[in-house]
Amino acid sequence: MRLLIIEDERKVADVVARGLRAERFAVDVAYDGPSGWDLAASTDYDLIILDLMLPGLNGTELLRRLQRKGSSAAVLVLTARDATNDKVENFEAGADDYLTKPFAFAELLVRVKALLRRPPASRTPVLRVADLEIDRLTQQVLRGGKRIELTAKEYALLEYLAAHAGRVLSRTMIIEHVWDQSFEGLTNIVDVYVRHLREKVDEPFPHKLLRTVRGTGYCLTDEAEP
Amino acid sequence: MNTRSIRFRLIAWYAGLLAGVFVLLAGLMVWGLKHFLETDLRETQARRARQIAGTLLANIKRTGEEFVVREINVLYAPETNGRFIRITRTDGSILYASGPPKDGSFDPLLVPVLQPVPAAPVFRKDQQLLITAVPTSERYIVEVGATITGVEMLVHQALVLVVIGLPIVVLVGLGGGYLLVGRALAPVGRITRKAEQITQHNLSERLPVACTADELEQLALALNHMIGRLEDAFLNSKRFVADASHELRTPLTVLRAELESIAADKALTADLRESLGSMLEEVERLATIVQQLFALSRLDAGEARAEWTQFDLAELVTTTADQMGLLAEDKGISVVCEAPQPVTVAGDRARLKQVVVNLLDNAIKYTPAKGAVRLRVAAVKDSAVLEVADTGIGIPAEAQLHVFERFFRVDQARSRDEGGAGLGLSIVKSICAAHGAEVVVESNGSSGSRFCVTLPLVGSKRNNHDEKS
Repeated sequence: MRLLIIEDERKVADVVARGLRAERFAVDVAYDGPSGWDLAASTDYDLIILDLMLPGLNGTELLRRLQRKGSSAAVLVLTARDATNDKVENFEAGADDYLTKPFAFAELLVRVKALLRRPPASRTPVLRVADLEIDRLTQQVLRGGKRIELTAKEYALLEYLAAHAGRVLSRTMIIEHVWDQSFEGLTNIVDVYVRHLREKVDEPFPHKLLRTVRGTGYCLTDEAEP
Repeated sequence: MNTRSIRFRLIAWYAGLLAGVFVLLAGLMVWGLKHFLETDLRETQARRARQIAGTLLANIKRTGEEFVVREINVLYAPETNGRFIRITRTDGSILYASGPPKDGSFDPLLVPVLQPVPAAPVFRKDQQLLITAVPTSERYIVEVGATITGVEMLVHQALVLVVIGLPIVVLVGLGGGYLLVGRALAPVGRITRKAEQITQHNLSERLPVACTADELEQLALALNHMIGRLEDAFLNSKRFVADASHELRTPLTVLRAELESIAADKALTADLRESLGSMLEEVERLATIVQQLFALSRLDAGEARAEWTQFDLAELVTTTADQMGLLAEDKGISVVCEAPQPVTVAGDRARLKQVVVNLLDNAIKYTPAKGAVRLRVAAVKDSAVLEVADTGIGIPAEAQLHVFERFFRVDQARSRDEGGAGLGLSIVKSICAAHGAEVVVESNGSSGSRFCVTLPLVGSKRNNHDEKS
């Protein structure tokens, strides 16, 4: 998988590139609009991570050029702006996803992976983490063959964690997916729900799956605690 | 009517002065009229007395006294004309005295004889008579008198005119004053109404300036310049918040990513992992504050209304309360939601949901275990009212004025433990302002607080007005 990062903030570009390389992606970096466009026009990328405010050639214009060229690369827009009309404008110009700074790297990674898996949308009907089984069609949860009753929100939370099993998900990501943007800044709601989920999913069993990663978020994983 | 208003006071002064001047002028006129008429009467009488002295008394030795008496009766007919004529000798004996007049307005016998004889003409008043006495060289005193009823009647009529005229003058003065002052002060009313409408959200608007080149035009221009300076100051501070929150994002992104990449190292010791976690928590908090400040600056800048739809506020509140139910349950707080009727409002649903979320979160946060939170949505007149009341720790009176200010905390220590930055309620306030809504807080200090949001109902006059403006 070949990725291009076009971002004028060198530190942001570098740290993102480093993180993605650690995930075994081939990453190129451009620090301004024109050189980004040169790279994007000459190489066949799977994904372009694009900052909107670029010197030389702005991100929205670059998006339009990519669109005209018929580029097959997915585009993840990265910006400090998050006004709704900006979002609309850029989706129209051909952005596939949108991430507002400051973001958690984990979230960037989840989105990058989601974009790269497309178009074959993989929605496996049954998610499995150790002896935990989640049936997405019937919304039934089994652990060790025993049925666990969950409320709708608890189920949504568990399904989201299980779909990204092994990944640390930040509270902001969880809120955006399980609740909505109105709950932004209300991170304690996630903690309360995770605690309730834990009582039902983990407590009766010796092997704990739901882990808290301090300062980062939560993770559903089969791996042992480091 | 407001008795302290400039209009009232000016009119009162105006009418009072007009009445005063009128009374003064009318008094002078009546007094002058009386004086003129009396003087005129005296002069006529003196002339007549001299006439009698010059024509009849001068030749009395030749003609004899009977002739004089007869001539006076023929020439002057004093009884018929209501006049008084008497000729007295210097020794006090009477040569001639007219009889009582036909109309009986005076009795000539009661008029006392002048003693001693004056050297010059004397004027006096007796009964209703004005009498002029003229001494002659032939040692007689000729007295001619006439009733002053005529004069008094004229003066009386003049007074009646004054009394009738006074209220008319005052009324005309009041009416004219009302109109004139009203016209002169009309720009003040327009300036006041406009000034009341100007808040920090529409500082670009200006007061109406009437091009009259008078003091009011100068006042309006001066106020407009002041609003202009305020607008600049506000814009600067808004731009600062927007720029600052924007500029902080990039370093925060780098900081967070770097810390996360270190934290991903499996070989870290527990201590190091702990401090990294703590740093990440603070970065997260900074990120939240930056996010909220940015949201505030966008609300201040007047977000586009593109996201506005019509929806049922009752349904929104019920759903949100339901989504946050566990948060309350976790603390053993009961949440009661009274929203029996659909209440349709227009606005940005996600933003208004944030209002409900922030108010409810606040209520739950500051209510101790076993407490209660009550939500109520109702249509009152042409407003939709959302009420969030709790049985929590309440807000002291001196803090109630400031709870909607940025970064304000009632209790520094406690609220920081709760993880808030003190921006939640200012976001509520800004969202409400953007929707033409009002939010107020009531609390008697210790037994809970009540937040009340009043939004224009869809279809109400207020709302239609909003959409036009």
